[in-house]
Amino acid sequence: MKEFVNTNDILDFAIGNEQDAVDFYLTLASEASSEGMRKAFEEIAGEEIKHKARLVEIKERGIFNMPVEKVADLKIGDYLVSDPVHAGMSYQQALIVAMKREKAAFKLYSALAEKAPNADLKSIFMALAVEESKHKLRFELEYDEHVLSEN
Amino acid sequence: MALLDQDVKYLKFKTYLPCYCPHCKKTFNVEKRDVKYLNFTGVYEGADVDVKISPYLNVFEQESSIPLKEGDLFEDLKCPSCNKSLVNPDIVCGDCGSPVGEVILSAYSRLIPFFSCLKVGCEWHGLTRADERHIKIKIPRQEMPEQDQKLRIQTYQEVPYGYTTELASLEAGRCLQCKNPKCVEGCPVNVDIPGFIKCIREDDFDGAAKVVKEKNVLPAICGRVCPQENQCEEKCILGIKTKPVAIGNLERFVADWERKMDLVKIPIIKTKLNKRIAVVGSGPSGLTVAADMLQYGYSVTMYEAFHEAGGVLVYGIPEFRLPKSIVNFEINYLRELGLRFEMNHVIGKILTIDELLEHFDAVFIGVGAGLPKFMNIPGEALGNVFSANEYLTRMNLMKAYLFPEYDTPKPRGTKVAVIGGGNVAMDCARTAIRTGASDVTIVYRRSRQELPARHEEVRHAEEEGIKFRLLTNPVQYLGTDGNMVKGIECIKMKLGEPDASGRRSPVPIEGSNIVLPVDLVVVAIGNGSNPIIFQTTPNLNRNKWGNIEVNQQTNETSIPYVYAGGDIVTGSATVIEAMGAGRIAANAMHKKLSAKTKKTTNSN
Ligand SMILES: Cc1cc2nc3c(=O)[nH]c(=O)nc-3n(C[C@H](O)[C@H](O)[C@H](O)COP(=O)(O)OP(=O)(O)OC[C@H]3O[C@@H](n4cnc5c(N)ncnc54)[C@H](O)[C@@H]3O)c2cc1C
Ligand code: SF4
Repeated sequence: MKEFVNTNDILDFAIGNEQDAVDFYLTLASEASSEGMRKAFEEIAGEEIKHKARLVEIKERGIFNMPVEKVADLKIGDYLVSDPVHAGMSYQQALIVAMKREKAAFKLYSALAEKAPNADLKSIFMALAVEESKHKLRFELEYDEHVLSEN
Repeated sequence: MALLDQDVKYLKFKTYLPCYCPHCKKTFNVEKRDVKYLNFTGVYEGADVDVKISPYLNVFEQESSIPLKEGDLFEDLKCPSCNKSLVNPDIVCGDCGSPVGEVILSAYSRLIPFFSCLKVGCEWHGLTRADERHIKIKIPRQEMPEQDQKLRIQTYQEVPYGYTTELASLEAGRCLQCKNPKCVEGCPVNVDIPGFIKCIREDDFDGAAKVVKEKNVLPAICGRVCPQENQCEEKCILGIKTKPVAIGNLERFVADWERKMDLVKIPIIKTKLNKRIAVVGSGPSGLTVAADMLQYGYSVTMYEAFHEAGGVLVYGIPEFRLPKSIVNFEINYLRELGLRFEMNHVIGKILTIDELLEHFDAVFIGVGAGLPKFMNIPGEALGNVFSANEYLTRMNLMKAYLFPEYDTPKPRGTKVAVIGGGNVAMDCARTAIRTGASDVTIVYRRSRQELPARHEEVRHAEEEGIKFRLLTNPVQYLGTDGNMVKGIECIKMKLGEPDASGRRSPVPIEGSNIVLPVDLVVVAIGNGSNPIIFQTTPNLNRNKWGNIEVNQQTNETSIPYVYAGGDIVTGSATVIEAMGAGRIAANAMHKKLSAKTKKTTNSN
């Protein structure tokens, strides 16, 4: 696992992760099977860009006060099988991939928090983990509402 | 509580009435300098309204904090001190049938119950007359007789028998004939509900059917499958204090009566327009478009992928809930009106939308939401794990229920689990029990309150012995060596903290896994849109879920002269909503095509 010595290291790493997410959703958008899906992925990429901008701002200003709140985990993605990303995948499949991605990021930050050498770094990692779990919750709620519609 | 004439015979015109609340015994009388009135809280359109009434017998002065017109009906009348309802649920006004409020009047050292009609302007308003002619004992809601619970699971015959004429008349007698009927607002196609109920009261059943059909072309179907409890009946004024009028049962009664008495007449279409319409899909949305366009004088051709017309009405909803003979009757009616059917035509494969546009002036797409959703958990590919679509289609369309007359292999299981809690899940479970399964369980991840199925369906399922495993969610299917399903591993769920909208989503309880032994699973968690049409029509705009995007006012798609409606636009919804969408499209199509004709005629 990567070693982090200071806050800037961590933020660079997190900013890099957000950029990866932007790229990921833009790829999904470019391979989308309909205009509606393309728009949806571009919207998610837009949200990731905002997340990234927020981290960049934190880094530049040097103020870090992201609250560590409790975020619900519906664990929907935990039990689902995700297909490898492919052109023309359905929105349901894409949501599963997205939930799993955000959960992995959450786990990564939580693990880093666990191993953090001091309390300051620990709280930063924890706050980042919370951010990721918020992103996941957004996908989970959408999945809960629209995919598991049980008509 | 009967009113006795001797209690009141001494009361004279303009007697001052001291009035009390029957619950808290506080008085309604307010006396300020020379002004005297009785002070009540009325409920009108859900809001509390101050109501002041003259305290003198036979003086009709009434004033309220909002303007009310004659015929308006208070939804409730409450005591301003204890806020309890004064409405007596056991009686109604004998003049107009509206609910009545009860107060206690003190006169000559006696306490006398007095009743007052909640309808503004009713002759009996304002605590005036108190004789028995003016109240009547309320009729309870009439339920439909049904097949015996034990016997019915051995047949596919329809469960409720429908009203007799006597029951229908009794039930129709409960309607208050509101001047401002809320029920009509609750109906997606705005059927004149008090209008048709009035005809039933007058024993004019034929007239009643005509009133319904002005707005609803498939009343025998809607009377059976519409979720009235969330639509017209939810809004019915009677429902505030007691059970609403059984509008759905009455609708079913008049439609059945008309059919059984052979009174359905094929109208003669006077205008014949030299224009052609193609309708893709023969579900309720397509059938409505076809009916409306035929009546306008267009020639209409319907393309259907299956060999039988009717959409979900024939291959989804089972025989015991909606007899196929009724759907066929409606379809034959349209055939006699001039509708041409092209069966076994998958549009998008055999013909594209663009090709249809070369031969037709306009196209309507009503292909429904026919692509089953799966949960994407391990084991879904095992044998005997079916989607609800496949299961019901085999049982209905392939007439597996008529085995051995029809020799379709019937999906069979002795221990069956159905995943989901909607109407589709109940239909699958109730079908499974009729195929002879000894143990049928609904597995649903939320609690009973959230079950999206109609109450009637849940009740019928329970009566038929179907078990419910609530707050339980499958995590994987387990298979035999031969790759047939033999069990479902489930996890128990609990409702999590409410989110911003107050909704509580279910979350799994770690380590609570259990295994249910089963030999057949039906997954009924919803349907999405089928992509076939879009593969050859990429310029048809869709949203991220694959549903067609339309102009809400006209239901026209991104391609001019191509309209769409029903489940393919909204996602899985209801029969009546699909019909409503069809009607919007038909009106808009007719308007646009008529305008076009005018333009060409003028320029010639
Ligand atoms: C099991 C079940 C129970 C239900 N119970 C109720 C209920 O109790 N009450 C209620 O209000 N609603 C109920 N619904 C929902 C209701 O049936 C639907 O909302 C309604 O039928 C949608 O109508 P539609 O016209 O959009 O399409 P559908 O009824 O889905 O019909 C679409 C038709 O289009 C055809 N088609 C599809 N693709 C093509 C193509 N490419 N070319 C040609 N034809 C095509 C299909 O074969 C089908 O016949 C139930 C649904 C199901 C599945
Ligand atoms: S059905 Fe109910 S709401 Fe409609 S007119 Fe009758 S009483 Fe009023």
